[in-house]
Amino acid sequence: MRANSPEAVGTARLEGGFASSMAIILMNIWVPVLMILETAIGIAIFPAALLIWRVVTRWSFAKIMRHFVWIYGRAWMWTVSPFVRFELAGADPQWAKRPCIYVANHLSFFDIFCLAAMPVFDVIICLRSWPFKMIWFAPFMRLAQYLDVESLPWEDIEGRTGAFLGEGRSMLVFPQGHRSRDGRLGRFYSGAFRLALHFDVPVIPICISGTDQVFPPGRHWLKPARIRMECLEPIDPRQFKGELGHIELRRYVKQKMETCLASTHA
Amino acid sequence: MTDEKVIEIVNQSLADEFEVDPETLKPEAHLIEDLGFDSLDFVDMVVVLQQAFGVALREEPRVREVRTLGDLHRLVIDKKRELEAQQS
Repeated sequence: MRANSPEAVGTARLEGGFASSMAIILMNIWVPVLMILETAIGIAIFPAALLIWRVVTRWSFAKIMRHFVWIYGRAWMWTVSPFVRFELAGADPQWAKRPCIYVANHLSFFDIFCLAAMPVFDVIICLRSWPFKMIWFAPFMRLAQYLDVESLPWEDIEGRTGAFLGEGRSMLVFPQGHRSRDGRLGRFYSGAFRLALHFDVPVIPICISGTDQVFPPGRHWLKPARIRMECLEPIDPRQFKGELGHIELRRYVKQKMETCLASTHA
Repeated sequence: MTDEKVIEIVNQSLADEFEVDPETLKPEAHLIEDLGFDSLDFVDMVVVLQQAFGVALREEPRVREVRTLGDLHRLVIDKKRELEAQQS
């Protein structure tokens, strides 16, 4: 059989298709089973681990919980690693030394786990209400002091953000407010940018691509994919002045992220 | 300025500043439920429309009664007429 004969091409496609199908089947057995095991073990050892961390590190319980969430995200990344290739670009461990507001696009439920690839863990995540209503997530999220930005009045969000930033912590916001259904950057809400200007902290955009291929809305099984997270240069909010400076900052950040994501897809 | 021009500018401002799809800008569209506005958007909307039309909206109590895009159109039209009446 010649290498480029129709029979050879057909065979190669068949073998490639078979390998791909096997990978999907394996992934949908391996990942859920391991995640259930890891979650069950994590919940079982959580009380003891919390106390041990407290004694060893002297961190607050909230900071310890955020560290545990980061570790859980790392566990997820390890679990899917036979099937998912991760790339992280542009992240700088020096960012942990000063507070900032990270803004990330939102494609998938797994975006939060992928953020464990970042070199900083002590980040307050701002989320809508639905995760706080999930009985297996809510206690941990409240202990981590994540913000329910859908339920809290703006004054509370601003007050708590000021306190966290004043303690040297950073915030993470998904300015779209919900997952993109078509992979594109939808409308950005202005809250994160208002906070950045008000508290004079830099905005660091994080461009996530590929998580929507692992488990997209509407599909109920996992698929191997390549995930890339690219962190862009910090943006100083002071260059955006005036009463609507936060809207200009929002537009600027979104345009930077669109350019980054377009080049990634290309 | 005609009422149609006011409506056109209001819609253009919302589309530009709040990334709202122009196709959804119907008078019956609810600002929160249909156009996805949040509380901060209302604050910004007042500033945007003040700058676009030169009318004072920040202390205007009728802003709190705005629910739909049509309500917003009517409010801005009324305020514009009041301003023009004061100036003439």
